[in-house]
Amino acid sequence: MSLDFGVQKHHCSIKKKSNRIFSAIPYSFLIFIFFVALWPCSFRLFNSEMDFLSRAYATEIPPLKGYINDYANMIPPTIRTKLTNELREFERTDSTQIVILTIPSLEGLTIEDYSIKVAEAWKIGKKGRDNGIILIIANQERKIRIEVGRGLEGKLTDLMAGRIIDLVVKPRFKRGDFSGGLVAGIAALIDATKGEFKTDDDRPSRTIESFSPFFTILLFGAVGLLILGNISPVLGGVAGAIGLPVTAYFVLEPSVFTLILLCILGLIMGIFLPFLFSGAGQGRGGMFFPRGGSFGSRGRGNDDFDSGGGFGGGGDFGGGGASGDW
Amino acid sequence: MKRFLVYALGIFAIMSLSGCGYNTMQINEEAVKAAWGDVEATYQRRNDLIPNLVEVVKSYAKHEKETLQAVTEARGKVGSIQAGADIVNDPKAFSQFQEAQASIGNALSRLLVVVEQYPDLKANQNFRDLQVQLEGTENRINVARTRYNKAVQEFNTSIRIFPNSVTNSILLHLKPKEAFKAEAGAEKAPKVKF
Repeated sequence: MSLDFGVQKHHCSIKKKSNRIFSAIPYSFLIFIFFVALWPCSFRLFNSEMDFLSRAYATEIPPLKGYINDYANMIPPTIRTKLTNELREFERTDSTQIVILTIPSLEGLTIEDYSIKVAEAWKIGKKGRDNGIILIIANQERKIRIEVGRGLEGKLTDLMAGRIIDLVVKPRFKRGDFSGGLVAGIAALIDATKGEFKTDDDRPSRTIESFSPFFTILLFGAVGLLILGNISPVLGGVAGAIGLPVTAYFVLEPSVFTLILLCILGLIMGIFLPFLFSGAGQGRGGMFFPRGGSFGSRGRGNDDFDSGGGFGGGGDFGGGGASGDW
Repeated sequence: MKRFLVYALGIFAIMSLSGCGYNTMQINEEAVKAAWGDVEATYQRRNDLIPNLVEVVKSYAKHEKETLQAVTEARGKVGSIQAGADIVNDPKAFSQFQEAQASIGNALSRLLVVVEQYPDLKANQNFRDLQVQLEGTENRINVARTRYNKAVQEFNTSIRIFPNSVTNSILLHLKPKEAFKAEAGAEKAPKVKF
């Protein structure tokens, strides 16, 4: 707001000097825009600087490597493979992510402080479902903690987590049987959270989320194809062959194979769609929408490879869980 | 040309609204409110645990009437403070709230110290369950408070820096919000008597 006056003054001086007001207006207007554009920039810069500072002082959180993050070298390779397979299978069926972290030392922090920092950095679990669990073991301090994502607090209560530590993990750890403790602990965690989420549950919501823009664009594209196809079938075919895969590419991120398939499909649609509409009205709903449906299922199939959302998808933690020692 | 100027000013006005942090401040205020909701919920969770805890302890430690009474009283006092989203704008109410919650915390930790003298009680599964729940709740309170303070810090910064400060003084009139301070006496290590 104070800038307003500054620029107006600037205005006047130019007026007096040259009397060429009109050329001065766009010039000062450019300065306006320049500063307006700069404001949020400077604010963002300031913010990122703050972020950087606060990060520099924070304890270093080791990077997330996968289901097993064995920074304290406590898990033998055979157990590691076994647990990884178990946890991957569990995520595939239930979409719940369980991750193990072992660290040599807490470096003066309490295990609760450390584990919430890890949870905030790793964001285990799916966004919106917050179904992540982190099992943290600090070797030197002999501390265990199960950090539970918000979405699982109902099933895996603090009480339950506490009992798993006290009755399942702790006795085995006390005997020095880390592998046995981890395997039994993970089995107990899986038992406790089984059925809370199903991988299929998020399919419909994901479908709606990612397909509604796709259908909108598809409808617009179909209208465009109709117009072009009415002018000339070749034009319609070319537009379809390019338009359909390009649309799919931006919305669905399909594989190359799918793209080629869509290209051919677009070509056919671009040529025949106008005929369908001009020739027979009954082809309308019957022909067009099932096609769209089949893209949908193909897109979903692709998602299976990255287990439907990737690792550490944005799960939120609120400090739920329990701690113990051995 | 005059029309051009009007348009330019119109565009400028719209752009400056986002440029001068009008939206940022609103977003940050909402974030503070949400974080405060979490703080209240976690404290309420602790309050709900207290009657059960008192019941269990009572049946084993009949001689600790005073300690138990202190817990119940502290809990009652919190109930009389009406908390709400407005409390974050009111320094006096806020410090009252913080004090009341701190007195519950103190009473509870005294109770847990006393309990150490009753091995039967400590072995009671019911009591151990409650203890785990209490620990979990205290941890949640900690997390919620830290996040609330972070949100407040961000909000307070966003209304103070230029050009947001100008926008705020002209349009929004938002006041800085209260953050949790370290509890009085927390910096001193507790004395252990034998």
